[in-house]
Amino acid sequence: MAIVSDSIRRARPLLGTFVEIEIAGAPRSEMDGAIDTAFDAVAQVHRLMSFHEPDSDVGRLNSEAGTRPVSVHAWTFRVLETAVELHRRSGGCFDITIAPALQAIGLLPALKDKSAPALRSPDAIELLPDREVRFRSTDVMIDLGGLAKGFAVDRAVAVLRDLGIPCGMVNAGGDLRAFGAQTRTVHIRDPRHPSRSVCSIEVTDEALASTARRVDLVDGDESGSSAVIDPATQRPVSLIDGATVRARSCMVADALTKVVMISGTDAGELLESYKAGALLISADGNVQITSDWHHAVHLAA
Amino acid sequence: MNWVRYTLPAAAILSAASPAYAVRYLSIEEAQKEAFPSATHFSEVQASRVWKAEAGGKVVGFFVFDRVVGKHLFIDYAVALTPAGAVHKVEILEYRESYGGDIRSPSWLAQFVGKTAGSALKINGDIRNIAGATLSSTHVTEGVKRILAAYGNRLR
Repeated sequence: MAIVSDSIRRARPLLGTFVEIEIAGAPRSEMDGAIDTAFDAVAQVHRLMSFHEPDSDVGRLNSEAGTRPVSVHAWTFRVLETAVELHRRSGGCFDITIAPALQAIGLLPALKDKSAPALRSPDAIELLPDREVRFRSTDVMIDLGGLAKGFAVDRAVAVLRDLGIPCGMVNAGGDLRAFGAQTRTVHIRDPRHPSRSVCSIEVTDEALASTARRVDLVDGDESGSSAVIDPATQRPVSLIDGATVRARSCMVADALTKVVMISGTDAGELLESYKAGALLISADGNVQITSDWHHAVHLAA
Repeated sequence: MNWVRYTLPAAAILSAASPAYAVRYLSIEEAQKEAFPSATHFSEVQASRVWKAEAGGKVVGFFVFDRVVGKHLFIDYAVALTPAGAVHKVEILEYRESYGGDIRSPSWLAQFVGKTAGSALKINGDIRNIAGATLSSTHVTEGVKRILAAYGNRLR
């Protein structure tokens, strides 16, 4: 009879942040192996979807998919399907082809052979049979930074569940998902005063993703600039200081934070269609929470 | 979908606590066992820094302990290397969050700023190239590169 130990908690640098996995409820030896396998899944998402690696799926798509169909891994294809669907359902608000705008403000590196302006089109990305992908022109460039981290968290949770781990939490720099019966409390930082907490949120068997205008940029950056770009203006958003989204999947929660940052309370219908809830912190200091969700959110008092 | 609006009282914001955040994930010994489960013996190659992992007299890898500055405080981490000198695993052992810490200990922060004046420019140049990357993860990544440069060819 194996002895069930306490929870274990580990962290590794992946996806440009720290990925932390905490699990409980299984024998220690099983949990060590499960955590390793879960980290491997995150590392594979990193390898497939890094904008920075030329031989990742994203790197190959950006260099070749404008001229001919490129075959990608099933995971990359699934993320692209979600991205294309979100682009359509959000009226273009969620857009993975804004990479050039991120490059223009220095948040993504310029690639030597590409400096084209953003080409916005509803069918910029064609998803073909057999996991092949084609771009409408050589000017199209994608960055999956808006949802790949959430997808990686979903993969890690799937791995842990498949290995029989009953409960735990995976957190990739603010994109997190808890599974199992345990309720956890997550504190949301005040984007204007990062050392303070705006509220705490109870999370049970669901995903929570947060994004904010960047408050911790080093000196010399545009003050309060954001890594979230409004496709309509090609500029960083400034309407909302911070957004947190609750959803079933971390990929969807991750992506929807961008939509909420851009369209604010107008994102309500889209959130509802994904059975998601949101909390947004306006520039004027007001906090707004979708009516279906406020019972799980406790404002700092 | 309806939205419920709350206006945060200013006083509440000002008085909200800033909990210090520090997590110890693994001790050096635990991380060694985790990285090389088959190893039967770890011998120090360099005191408190580099260990050789052996299983039945055969070298199964190397374990390097290092420490980098996160945003303001140290991050302890370890790099496990294969016998050929490639990265086998990078694991965070202890992470100390800076927010709150920098407020409570301005002298500590000032000391850090003075010591790394040279590298600040590098962060300014590099960090903006990675959307969403934190200073901390960038520093660990640089640390791993440094360890590879220092030990990748020398151990074995």
